[in-house]
Amino acid sequence: MALLCKSRVRGVLRPLLIRAAATLLALRKDARLLKVPPYLSALCIVVGVAWLLVLPLDEYSRRTYVSENALLPGQVHTYFTGSEHNVFRAYRQETAALADKSVEERTQRLSTILGAHNLKVATQRYEYHASGRNISDQNVYAILQGPRADATEAVVLIAAWRNMDGKINYSGVALVLTLARYFKRWSLWSKDIIFLISGDSTSGTQAWVDAYHDSHSPDTIEPLSIKSGALQGAVAVDYPAGPWGHRYDKLHILYDGVNGQLSNLDLFNTAVSIANGQMGIGCTLQRMWNHDDSYHQRLQTMLRGMISQGLGHASGPHSSFIPYHIDAITLQTVGDGWHDEMSLGRTLESLFRSLNNLLEHLHQSFFFYLLLQANRFVSIGTYLPSAMLIAVNFSISAIALWVLSGRPQTPTPNPASTKPPQPDQQAGEKANEKEKEQDKPTFIVAEIAGAKTLIPASSLEITERPLFLPLTFVLATHFLGLLPLYLFNHTPLPYLSYTFTFVALTTTLLPLLTATSLAHFQRPTPQERTLIQCFSLLLLGMFLAALATLNFSLSFLVGLLAAPLSFARASRNKGLSAVVGGLLLLLNPVVVVWAATLYFGQDVVEVLVKAAEGWHVWGLWTQVVVWLVWWPAWFAGSVVVAGGLVS
Amino acid sequence: MALDQQQALLFGVAAAVRLLLFTAFPSLPSLLAGRVEVSTPVTSFKRLQEGLFLYTHNVSPYDGGVFHQAPLLLPLFSLLPNPSYHPFATNVVFTVVDLLSAYALAQVAESGQAAVTRLFTSSRKDLRWSSAAIAAGFLFNPFTVATCVARSTSALTNLCILTAMAKASQGASITFILAISFASYLALHPILLFPPLALLCYDTRTARTKHAPNPWMFAILHTLGLAVASGALLVVSAVLTGSWDFLAATYGVRLLLPDLTPNVGLWWYFFTEMFDSFREFFLGVFWLHVASYMPGLTIRLYRQPLFVATTLTGIFAIFTPYPSIADASLYLSLVPLFRHLFPVMRYTFLASSSILYTSFLGPAFYHLWIYAGSGNANFFYAITLVWSLGLSVIVGDSLYAALRDELDVDRPELRGKEVKRI
Amino acid sequence: MLSSLAFLLLHVLLAGAAASSEYDERLLLRPLPQSSLLASFTFRSTEPASTFSQQNLRYFPRSLGQILQHAHTEELHLRFSVGRWDAENWGQRPSYGAREGGTGVELWAWVEAQSEEEAFSRWLTLTNALSGLFCASLNFIDATKTIRPVMSFQPEGDHKNASNLHVLHGTLPHEVVCTENLTPFLKLLPCKGKAGISSLLDGHKLFDAAWQTMSIDVRPVCDAVSSTCSVEMEQTVDMVLDVDRAKRPRDNPIPRPLPIDEIECDTSKPYNAADTCYPLDKTAEPAWNLTEVFGRPLKGDCPLTEQAGDNANTVCLNIPPERTVQVNTSGEYAETQFSSGTLRCYKLPTGADFDLVLPKQQMTTGLVLAKPPLYAARSINGHGQERGSVQAIIKNPSATEPVEFVYLESLPWFMKPYLHTLRARVDTSPESPIRETYYRPAVDRQRGTHLELKMVIPPASTLTLTYDFEKAILRYTEYPPDANRGFDVAPAVVRLLSPNSQDKKGIYLRTTSLLLPLPTPDFSMPYNVIILTSTVMALGFGNIFNLLVRRFVGVDEAQTVGTGGVGGVVRGKLNRLKALLGKG
Repeated sequence: MALLCKSRVRGVLRPLLIRAAATLLALRKDARLLKVPPYLSALCIVVGVAWLLVLPLDEYSRRTYVSENALLPGQVHTYFTGSEHNVFRAYRQETAALADKSVEERTQRLSTILGAHNLKVATQRYEYHASGRNISDQNVYAILQGPRADATEAVVLIAAWRNMDGKINYSGVALVLTLARYFKRWSLWSKDIIFLISGDSTSGTQAWVDAYHDSHSPDTIEPLSIKSGALQGAVAVDYPAGPWGHRYDKLHILYDGVNGQLSNLDLFNTAVSIANGQMGIGCTLQRMWNHDDSYHQRLQTMLRGMISQGLGHASGPHSSFIPYHIDAITLQTVGDGWHDEMSLGRTLESLFRSLNNLLEHLHQSFFFYLLLQANRFVSIGTYLPSAMLIAVNFSISAIALWVLSGRPQTPTPNPASTKPPQPDQQAGEKANEKEKEQDKPTFIVAEIAGAKTLIPASSLEITERPLFLPLTFVLATHFLGLLPLYLFNHTPLPYLSYTFTFVALTTTLLPLLTATSLAHFQRPTPQERTLIQCFSLLLLGMFLAALATLNFSLSFLVGLLAAPLSFARASRNKGLSAVVGGLLLLLNPVVVVWAATLYFGQDVVEVLVKAAEGWHVWGLWTQVVVWLVWWPAWFAGSVVVAGGLVS
Repeated sequence: MALDQQQALLFGVAAAVRLLLFTAFPSLPSLLAGRVEVSTPVTSFKRLQEGLFLYTHNVSPYDGGVFHQAPLLLPLFSLLPNPSYHPFATNVVFTVVDLLSAYALAQVAESGQAAVTRLFTSSRKDLRWSSAAIAAGFLFNPFTVATCVARSTSALTNLCILTAMAKASQGASITFILAISFASYLALHPILLFPPLALLCYDTRTARTKHAPNPWMFAILHTLGLAVASGALLVVSAVLTGSWDFLAATYGVRLLLPDLTPNVGLWWYFFTEMFDSFREFFLGVFWLHVASYMPGLTIRLYRQPLFVATTLTGIFAIFTPYPSIADASLYLSLVPLFRHLFPVMRYTFLASSSILYTSFLGPAFYHLWIYAGSGNANFFYAITLVWSLGLSVIVGDSLYAALRDELDVDRPELRGKEVKRI
Repeated sequence: MLSSLAFLLLHVLLAGAAASSEYDERLLLRPLPQSSLLASFTFRSTEPASTFSQQNLRYFPRSLGQILQHAHTEELHLRFSVGRWDAENWGQRPSYGAREGGTGVELWAWVEAQSEEEAFSRWLTLTNALSGLFCASLNFIDATKTIRPVMSFQPEGDHKNASNLHVLHGTLPHEVVCTENLTPFLKLLPCKGKAGISSLLDGHKLFDAAWQTMSIDVRPVCDAVSSTCSVEMEQTVDMVLDVDRAKRPRDNPIPRPLPIDEIECDTSKPYNAADTCYPLDKTAEPAWNLTEVFGRPLKGDCPLTEQAGDNANTVCLNIPPERTVQVNTSGEYAETQFSSGTLRCYKLPTGADFDLVLPKQQMTTGLVLAKPPLYAARSINGHGQERGSVQAIIKNPSATEPVEFVYLESLPWFMKPYLHTLRARVDTSPESPIRETYYRPAVDRQRGTHLELKMVIPPASTLTLTYDFEKAILRYTEYPPDANRGFDVAPAVVRLLSPNSQDKKGIYLRTTSLLLPLPTPDFSMPYNVIILTSTVMALGFGNIFNLLVRRFVGVDEAQTVGTGGVGGVVRGKLNRLKALLGKG
């Protein structure tokens, strides 16, 4: 038959793809074929996971390298020493004195110190409301106008007053103040340098960068009184050592931004090569404090990176900059060692000299990567297939279910009576897939099968596909997801835990109820159930494929957790259905979230609060994916399975 | 055709959906109007507003690089209140436009010209959908809704094309000529629809009246009519704008592609990357390519003129310089007219799923290129390739089905047999 | 106020000078806050119109004169600028901003011509010639960068036949001004930088300044009483030097941290210790002298200047009377004081080095700097490479006077503004401040956008001007090598109409230039794109026409009829023809 197919197609210039599709479509009549897809999608999942597991090996990962030649990392001599150290100590005392002062006093004092360096100083007050809490504070920033610059480009040096753990960033702020004083003396700056001391690590920087691009909500966030040019890069420093200092061991480099968007790899590489090569400070990432370059450690680093990327939360002051296509990293001091503040200062000096050399916006190197080590990474071309395979597995089962739904349960009705009540374009076409193969494939099959007479006529007919119920059901499920999304983003803090329990219970029970009510009122045929599952899987596959290009890790994780859905089928056997249903209950997104928080020793409410804050402040999209992509798919799947129980 | 209960309900719901979208999400129209997939430089509503602004302030809107749309739109829209302050009137207008298009489409379906023409009667002619169903397919097509909400002027072009089809399928020559000349006045390329639709008009006329009008006379008269109507439109525009500059600014832009703003078509990136010395040559080739389908299809399928017209709209949606999902929506809503061909089509699932995928991946990749900056232009370009491929598969497949259908009528003994083309 | 008064006086002096003498030069030095120093050099030479037309030139540089005559340029204004004037700290701009330009190079001229076309062709001649003369890429000022301002610029000279004069204006915001522009600039001076104040102009210091602008202005001047006309050429260099930075020796420019004992610490701090030092910000006026800050000594007088009268006072210091000044020179010099001692002028010795030494000094009275009439700032809002919006914020500090001004935008064609989104709001009054609008939209690859707004801003209020724009994607050959940097957008020019200036120069200020990142295609793969697109087209075309030109037969008949190819096609056609005839 393949031969025939070819001969038919050769005349026309069809791409292989279509040829293969033709073969597939022709093959659809083959009963054996319907047994293949489950194994195929299982294979996809297995290969996808295996693919990820081999990435840490040397054969699949690469050493990092700086591809933007202008950066010249570590090529300059650094002079941040000597009397600057005394000044730094003084500023650290100053910041320490501000610890228990009010926000206004703090802002005022910091502005005066910066103003004394002949910089243009301004402040910004901001206020956010998330889950009933008020996040309000003030940013102080100063602009050093580069003598060579014409206000077209700028780089930002950030020190948040409080770091991610809520500790006061004494030395970081003091270092920024000292560097501001020191940088002012240089005449070589080709870009403006903005020194930003944000009120806190996430919302403060967010408010500032929003206002800088004038995309802030003016009623709660103050606009910036002075601006500079287009921001080319940002470096945040997190060094919460008290007034008597603390010698650190390593630099912990944070590089992932909101919604899993990453900063340009070149910036990361520059930081690493300066800290490592020039200053001799070890670099680490993803809280892997002691990383012996072993496979296990690499894998762990990668997985941690994926989880933090998948969650898409802000991991530091730099995160808010990345959505604006401003490459940013945070340098965080960790451990007890012999490196002091001045070496950190020199690192920053050298880093800013490198950024100062930039002629163009960072664009050369990678934006999609998984880091295994400070000097080892995997590029998108290598890792993307794993997520894509997971996504494809859903599409495969969707197609399989589509074909299956065409299989006759009953004697065939009259083909002419096709009238889907709402023939939306695709629906319209799908509705009529059935006759598509009426003529030739019959023959094809007959010819390979060899025994034409053996083929029962019924198996050649394809039964009518009622599309109304499945389509509406699937669409409704996806809209239903909006409800919990809204609920979690707008419930005030004290009620969050109750809301969570409530949602957990309802989502757990809902499938069964829905199935019962469906069976009661609509009494969907098994075929309709198959179609429901088919459409929901098709959508899931599509969403995940699109998501994989935006946030690989999230797509991979969701795909993995939703993988069983492509195997869960409604069965007449009640016991089996019960077992499968029980398994699915464990995969309820809410349950999964709860389990994850338990595993990572987090408090659910904490997580929910962060998520709500993310939604209102950073524009976090993770919960949208959870509630509008993952949950509906799970819901549809479990309704179908539960249907087996109640019918 | 009187609006029966069902249709009234349908239209009511469609209008309600649109107005709801307009009012519930006030930022949605401007958002969609900014999407390159929906509005192109020659159909964008924002550019129309700019043109209106210049027009009302006595600056020639065509003495600039922004406004490339037909002059008659200016007085039309300048009657409405300023959309940036009181958008409601404009929204209503675009909603009505959609409803009228759907009505015209329903008329086409009513006429039954899709399956049964003067010279040809499909063997599966009973296999068809009600006109209401087809109108619903148009009205609830997400692409159509997006176009309407974005207030892109291609909705008007679609209306004119559909009206032309409806009138042609009813044999109403005058209105047909007016509609087609309006369509080609608005968007230039619909002029290619004239021959097949004229043929359709001729068929219906002969079918209705006993004695067939002389084909030559008919052709000449209608061509003259078209010439007169279009000429009149152009002259009126010239009088309106006070000069002939608009020709270069509207049709010139469509022909010469100075504005390379991305869209779902194949032209923009090709001519972004094209070497300067070959630009003119390839412009010629591309236009020739678009035009070349019309004669071929009309000659081969002269017995099914409506199908030829439909296929041409599909071709426009792929191969014209500034296509948008509006053109695609027009074609995809015309295809269900040929319900009787679906049994013979082969790659529908593949094509439709590829279109589905691209309509999700396209925006994602565009975001990566323009906003995230983490992907380059090739991402979006690749998606436009797949999109065009998907559409062309549908076009080719439906064409195959139509020919196969003809074959089944000509040689009934081959019905349901495997055939090969030689 | 004092200083502004002195300033005015100085202007009067110079203006008076214009008609009488043929060449004079003057240097005004004024210490500014934050230990910076403003130095304004002015060189003016005049030629009688009669001798000028005969090209028998004495002071006027021949090279420039010939160019002007060849290009029929009646009046010329050329600017080279780097950096920003910090109006908040430095106050009023030197010569009210009339002698400065936007970042990069700015050129405008009145060309005498019968028609627009002729004017433009002469303009091109002028730009090309000047680009050769000043080693600047002025020849890149083409049609897309040229506008014809309506309200923003008025001729400074006295023109007889103003009817067929065309004003053309062009800017190169991305042009980097440096020493190669200074050298030809100095060559135009009679003393060529060998003597006189021009001997202070050293590239290293000039281009290390925080802000500097060089200007050349040529204009015809007619004396009302004796209707004798003359061509006047004025060259100015204004720069703001950071004294600390300028005093660094050239062989060791690196700002190493000072030894701790050279920093004065705030001993009042509790934590003050040997290793902890809170630096006190300097209150005393820093010490400086000409040789230090300019890097070379002032080589006496330029012998071509007049030796008597006000114009002989070449070097002027605008400082408070209490500031002590020592003069180091071997030659004899003269000091005169104007406006109660805030302006001290010196007549330079001839042939002997001259140096002014100002010691470090704790001042009790500071200079009162004149407030600028307007503050203007402009920035791009939004992100992404698709569209954005420009926001200009203009402040009127005066509590009493409303200010009327013209706002000129000259945008490149690939930045497409939407005029219907133009909004101008004043925070104190609801009504729109826009009085007049002149708008010439851009045409792709032919000309840029030209927007002029005449606006009035009430006293003590802020005007916010915003408009949306869209970014075009260019052909890949139209991008510069550093495509991902973006394109520079010329500064907006603001010209004050009321309160208007004393002389015909007018009062100007300019915003900073903008960086406009455009979407970039992939430059590496034109061939791939051409191939892939063509493939998709070929697929559609081949598929459809394959169906059209072939005919169907049953598989079983295929052999009998013969295998496809041309024969089959022809046969197919024949059969179809038969069928047709049969029907007809």
